[in-house]
Amino acid sequence: MSAALDALQWVFLAYFVGVNLGYIALNLLAVPTLRRYLAIRPLEDLPPVYSGFEPPVSVLVPAYNEEATIVTSVRSLLQLDYPEFEVVVVNDGSRDATLERLREAFDLEPFPEAYWERIPGKPLGAVYVSRRHAGLRVVDKANGGKADALNVGINVSRYPLFCAIDADSILQRDSLRRVIQPFIDDPRTVATGGTVRIANGCVVSAGQLERVGLPSNPLALLQIVEYLRAFLFGRLGWATLNAVLIISGAFGVFRKDAVVAAGGYRTDTMGEDMELVVRLHRLYRERGEPYAIHFVPDPICWTEAPESAAVLRSQRVRWQRGLAESLSLNRALLLSPGGGAPGHAAYPFFLVFECWGPVIEVAGYAFMAALVVTGRISGEAFLAFLALAFSMGFLLSASALLLEEVSFHLYPRWSHVARLVAAAVVENLGYRQLVTVWRLVGLARWLRGARAQWGTMTRRGTWQGR
Amino acid sequence: MAPEFTSSFPVALALGTAAGAAISAAALIAALLVLRLWRGSRDRRLAIRVAGWRAALHEAMDDPAAARLPPVAPADLPVFLRLYNHLQESLRGEAAAHLSQAVRAAGLVAPIRDLSRRRNLAHRLAAVVALGHLREVHAWEDLAALARTPDAVLSFAAARALLRIDAARALEFLPDALRRQDWSLARLGTALQEAGPEAVTPAVERLLASPPPEGLERLLKLARFAHRERVAPIVNGWLARSAQPRVIAAALDFAQDAADLAQVRGAARYPDWGVRMAAARALGRIGSQRELALLLGLLEDESWWVRYHAAQAIVSLPGLSAAELADFRARAQGAAAGGMLAQVLAERAPS
Repeated sequence: MSAALDALQWVFLAYFVGVNLGYIALNLLAVPTLRRYLAIRPLEDLPPVYSGFEPPVSVLVPAYNEEATIVTSVRSLLQLDYPEFEVVVVNDGSRDATLERLREAFDLEPFPEAYWERIPGKPLGAVYVSRRHAGLRVVDKANGGKADALNVGINVSRYPLFCAIDADSILQRDSLRRVIQPFIDDPRTVATGGTVRIANGCVVSAGQLERVGLPSNPLALLQIVEYLRAFLFGRLGWATLNAVLIISGAFGVFRKDAVVAAGGYRTDTMGEDMELVVRLHRLYRERGEPYAIHFVPDPICWTEAPESAAVLRSQRVRWQRGLAESLSLNRALLLSPGGGAPGHAAYPFFLVFECWGPVIEVAGYAFMAALVVTGRISGEAFLAFLALAFSMGFLLSASALLLEEVSFHLYPRWSHVARLVAAAVVENLGYRQLVTVWRLVGLARWLRGARAQWGTMTRRGTWQGR
Repeated sequence: MAPEFTSSFPVALALGTAAGAAISAAALIAALLVLRLWRGSRDRRLAIRVAGWRAALHEAMDDPAAARLPPVAPADLPVFLRLYNHLQESLRGEAAAHLSQAVRAAGLVAPIRDLSRRRNLAHRLAAVVALGHLREVHAWEDLAALARTPDAVLSFAAARALLRIDAARALEFLPDALRRQDWSLARLGTALQEAGPEAVTPAVERLLASPPPEGLERLLKLARFAHRERVAPIVNGWLARSAQPRVIAAALDFAQDAADLAQVRGAARYPDWGVRMAAARALGRIGSQRELALLLGLLEDESWWVRYHAAQAIVSLPGLSAAELADFRARAQGAAAGGMLAQVLAERAPS
């Protein structure tokens, strides 16, 4: 008995060291990539000159009950700086006035679309075109969820690349140009994603980011540090190995023929964005075809983070289910002979540390607490265990803050630094543990199984119009 | 009661690791603060200098002799070059030449050449781009060597600088450029567009006569930056000779008059849908009502894109009235064909 408990103690310790060493390794991989990117960036900042060979892009905006923000979002999208693009809004059977708002604002008229159903989807109601903006079409369809809306958007899109964005995503004028660049430079590219940052606390006017700031809401502030960790070295580190498994649904670009050949977005998962990327890895690896999935470290998309515990909980439960579904549906990639870095490094890492990690972490905390209560280990041992979890978490967040300072330096005030450092410390004292429990709930729900549906994100829009 | 089973080693290891991580985290935060202090001080110092340089460079655009460029310390040269390159890429003609004249007068050419040989990639790129804007012929050999390096970004920046210095001479290396798959078509196109058709045409004509096999498709696409009327006859030769669908599709974009119609009509029956789509586009550009039957056939094509471009071509044909187009739409054999014609007519309808 004693030997078994001793061994368990070692397992938990090994897990904590393993997960943190993994993140440190990603950090080390990200640094040279980020360094080179920053060296090249001044060239990309020069006034753009277009040759006509830039691939045209269809920007797809799935919308469900977005009457509050949809008009501002579409206006902002129409101002993107890119030589040739169209905006396709897919109204997924909204029960509010999303379609009416669009009709009024953009003077929509019915359009006889020669619909080509390359990916099966819910029935198409009507297609509208704007009399004011030739590049804007609105598709009205029966409700089928975000993935189905995106599939219909792909079917009606005209161009070889499509950019999937959330209706409330805030882009910068040059966002599209930057995220398309890998398609121009590397013909193997099938998908790219960009860094998503949190807009809470920023000043946004007419759908454009005017000034970067930090939110007063503590939950949103803690998520900023989380996002910095996830994007600055998480995804960038994996991108160095061509093993990015997640491209945020808030802003990602895909080669249409590759996605159509893969069957489009799955409508029976909550993590349709991640599932598609993992599937692309799996299919290309199975066929042995060259491909690349790139990640652009520039902060090019801003999104609203939940400010209440209930909404945050719902989001994290959904994300965890999506993660589990994505990995489960593509388990053939795991350690497959031609799996490369996605199959031999990223997939196992996500499976052990991101997917099942919450089980080990919560069990670890509970186990250690039980041992202390029953007097089987000393309080000193328990404190050592907590100190390890705390200090490793702080180290990773500190490293993300330093990378942000070295690279994009988006939070210019000293007060910003002070608050971010405080958040990097405080998040370890309950927030991360709480998120871990929510992730465990998500995992449990995945095991029980439940239908995919639109995430219910309460848009507060407190950053708008300040 | 003492713990029954827990050895002291994991506790010591956990505590040691925790202490190490905490110290490392504190060191990273300290580094962040130092960096921010240094950056603040540097930015304040540079803001004053950049304002001075900017004012002088703006003055130099009108009168380079009168402009007095404030000194540029070696450490500040990359920042100055960012400003100079940015202004240069926004200018054309005399103002751009005046700007370079002011930079030369300030004695900066040698330090820029020196910077182009350093290890720091950002600094090298700034210097290489500036040497191109300065038309610095004495840097030719250095830049030519850089253009042959495996680094895609640095080599292309050097090649573009060479084009700016002497386009005709630089275009002798066009075959090498076509072979470099890490230089994208869009980047090559931007460079050739800037070089202008006078310089590009002779090089493209020469190369079209005996192109590198692996670069023919790219060459045909880039031929749009040459004088169209001079290269079109050679391109049409490839239309007749090549069996590669992508080459044929690229060549079809050059079909420009009725003399090319026979080849375009043949391409409209090609097995590859990309070729049929390019043929439909070409028929819309150069066809007459005699091609109507062929286009109505393409309107029934299995490929959505061929149908789409066939419909666009039909709508573009000269002399067809709105009533005739509506009649074609009503009489179209398949629903897909009629639907496509309806869509294209709606696209073309005045809003």
